[in-house]
Amino acid sequence: MSYAHPEVLVDTEWVSKNPPNDNMKLVEVDYDPVNGYQKGHISGASLIWWKRDINDPVTRDIINKKQFEALMSKNGITPDTEVILYGDFNNWFAAFVFWVFKYYGHENLKIMNGGRKKWELENKNYTTDEPQMTQTTYNAQPPDEGLRAYLFDVSRILGREDSVMVDVRSPAEFSGEITAPPEYPMEHAQRGGHIPGANNIPWATAVNDADGTFKAVEELKQNYESKGVTPDKDVICYCRIGERSSHSWFVLKYLLGYPMVRNYDGSWTEWGNMIGNPVEK
Amino acid sequence: MLLDLPVLKKGSFYFIKDGDTDLIMEDKTKRGLTIKETSIDEKLNVKADKGMIHDMDGIGHWVSIRWYFSKNYYDLSQVMVHAEAMEKKYTKLRELTCPEDND
Repeated sequence: MSYAHPEVLVDTEWVSKNPPNDNMKLVEVDYDPVNGYQKGHISGASLIWWKRDINDPVTRDIINKKQFEALMSKNGITPDTEVILYGDFNNWFAAFVFWVFKYYGHENLKIMNGGRKKWELENKNYTTDEPQMTQTTYNAQPPDEGLRAYLFDVSRILGREDSVMVDVRSPAEFSGEITAPPEYPMEHAQRGGHIPGANNIPWATAVNDADGTFKAVEELKQNYESKGVTPDKDVICYCRIGERSSHSWFVLKYLLGYPMVRNYDGSWTEWGNMIGNPVEK
Repeated sequence: MLLDLPVLKKGSFYFIKDGDTDLIMEDKTKRGLTIKETSIDEKLNVKADKGMIHDMDGIGHWVSIRWYFSKNYYDLSQVMVHAEAMEKKYTKLRELTCPEDND
């Protein structure tokens, strides 16, 4: 049995044999480009820096339509361009960017399965040369709000049997033992725990430990369905800042084909900081 | 294992522990960080356990968690010089962000 949308994945071997061209762009998405892209990246890949390029510089929000269009232009992408995304941190931020591209209606989009992790395990080449991009004109679609959950959406589905929350954080974060690992001192919340009724299905349960590639469809189905996350429900994924949850959103929506899955990008750093929000431990 | 070592000196921000062959200075503000490598700390020129902290922009910075001062070359008073410098640095930072109300 194959994934519901196998066309959204390419493997490292294919990328190594198909360099980017006028109609196909390769984009590395990094949380930490200093220790990623700048030290070496796949030949021809441009960089999207999650913090600088995908987030509004002032307000906590993803970039707006106009900012997205400018980003596409800068990366030489048109609405018809085939875009392949890969990145650091197990493709978490590549998945987040995939979600933002879909939010603004970009159709021809793929993720390189395994990201930097698999590329490096295979000892494939990197370069430090940065490609020259010709600016394009890009007209994005209006945001598809069906892909995004806001605080009020989450509040509204609490306790509803036709909806399910998937908390993809680690068990220690879910239980409230920690709010963030010490490596990320900027990502804490005032309260530890989880959104009442949420299921803890860590993002890592969707990938193969050895190389970071996605598990087979049967394993993925078992992973989610056994915990009540079924395609007939309205599913909302969340984590701490919305990047790991976009990875699980990608799995549920594109690999398993669930019709109604949203990413709550406010995630725990919003929920766990709001006065009066209910918290379960 | 390191937890069980006798503490020779401690401050608000450091411990100095008595290892078999080393005096081990620990930065208490780095507790819990995953050790990613052990290599020479270029500033103090001794072996150190190092981890990474990500800043507001996501950029990872290498930080030393604990330093191993060989007993062959260092005594406690020499290690204390470094510990007190660290204490002073963090005390100053704390005063900048959370000054005590002396009124």
